[in-house]
Amino acid sequence: MIEQLKRELEATFKGVSVTSEADRRITVVVDPLQTIALLRFFKDRGFSHLALLSAVDLIDKHAFELVYILTSYAEDTGEDAVPGELILVVKSMIPRDKPTFKSVINIYPNAEPYEREIHELFGIHFDGHRRLTPLFLERQYPIPPFRKDFDTRRYVEDVFGSIPAIGDEEG
Amino acid sequence: MDRNQIAKWFKEPSKMANKYSLHAIYFCTGCGIIEVPPVITARWDAERFGVIPVATPRQANLFLITGYVSVKTLKAIIRTYEQMYEPKYAVAFGSCPINGGMYWDSYNTIKHLDKYIPIDGWIAGCMPRPEAIFVAVTHLWTLIDKGMANGYERYKKYYRAYRRNQELALGKLEWPPLYPIGEHTEGGECD
Ligand code: SF4
Repeated sequence: MIEQLKRELEATFKGVSVTSEADRRITVVVDPLQTIALLRFFKDRGFSHLALLSAVDLIDKHAFELVYILTSYAEDTGEDAVPGELILVVKSMIPRDKPTFKSVINIYPNAEPYEREIHELFGIHFDGHRRLTPLFLERQYPIPPFRKDFDTRRYVEDVFGSIPAIGDEEG
Repeated sequence: MDRNQIAKWFKEPSKMANKYSLHAIYFCTGCGIIEVPPVITARWDAERFGVIPVATPRQANLFLITGYVSVKTLKAIIRTYEQMYEPKYAVAFGSCPINGGMYWDSYNTIKHLDKYIPIDGWIAGCMPRPEAIFVAVTHLWTLIDKGMANGYERYKKYYRAYRRNQELALGKLEWPPLYPIGEHTEGGECD
């Protein structure tokens, strides 16, 4: 089954790399221009559930890697579709100095909070997302705090360290 | 009741009553959600010490802040503390509220909780055992006896400084000051 999916993918998408490091898990690495089409392709095959959308800051490669994890509910899979037990990991890298990507809300509506979260913590903009407002954070940060070049230690010293203690607290 | 205490009861009945009926509100931000349930239920039974959990801060006079404090929870902690009636005692549980604990270099946790609200007692440990809560309660009794658990008075006295620190951490607060700011000009500043 995995072999068949792999052949199909390689025929449809250029330069796609399909590996499988565990029984049920398939990792698909694709360039960002084809990611949306690839996600649509999988959605049509019955992978109707976006389990996770996450980002990795690969600062040495000057890129952010977006990771989409897709699964499927067994009853959704039709006859010619891939089985429901598979977990698909779709990865694509976007340049770090231009952190913009397309929103996948119209394919997977539950990407909405994930994209907001990534926007807030990594500063990646998602075109087509209508509500990229703050989600968790209360404070303003000089750069998004999950980026690798965010110096938490310096930040803590500068911000929390500079708040004075109260008079005779020991009193 | 301890016979030795009868004299104390006649002398300061309200203080003694406060001391032996601590109504606790828990802020289970971190490890407290693990440690506090066995404390208040059959296994350790906090009621032996007169500590009973209550539903809202308006019924409480003991505030347990158990675990790390994120910037967002600090806001809720301040509001909870301000809603409690006096005399009120705040006890911080775990190393996180003391100095940040293992989250000391996190971008989003408060390191020294006593910069924002007055704390009457600290329970060290990461995470402290339920017994530590009882040690803290008996210790708090001593402090109340000696008049040293006076965090709420300090809060009033240094309210300007507390409020300033709260605003340094959280930005402009959306609720009005609890006490008039500027009333206690001398001693209100701390730098
Ligand atoms: S004191 Fe330790 S166990 Fe408790 S919240 Fe902090 S890190 Fe967690």
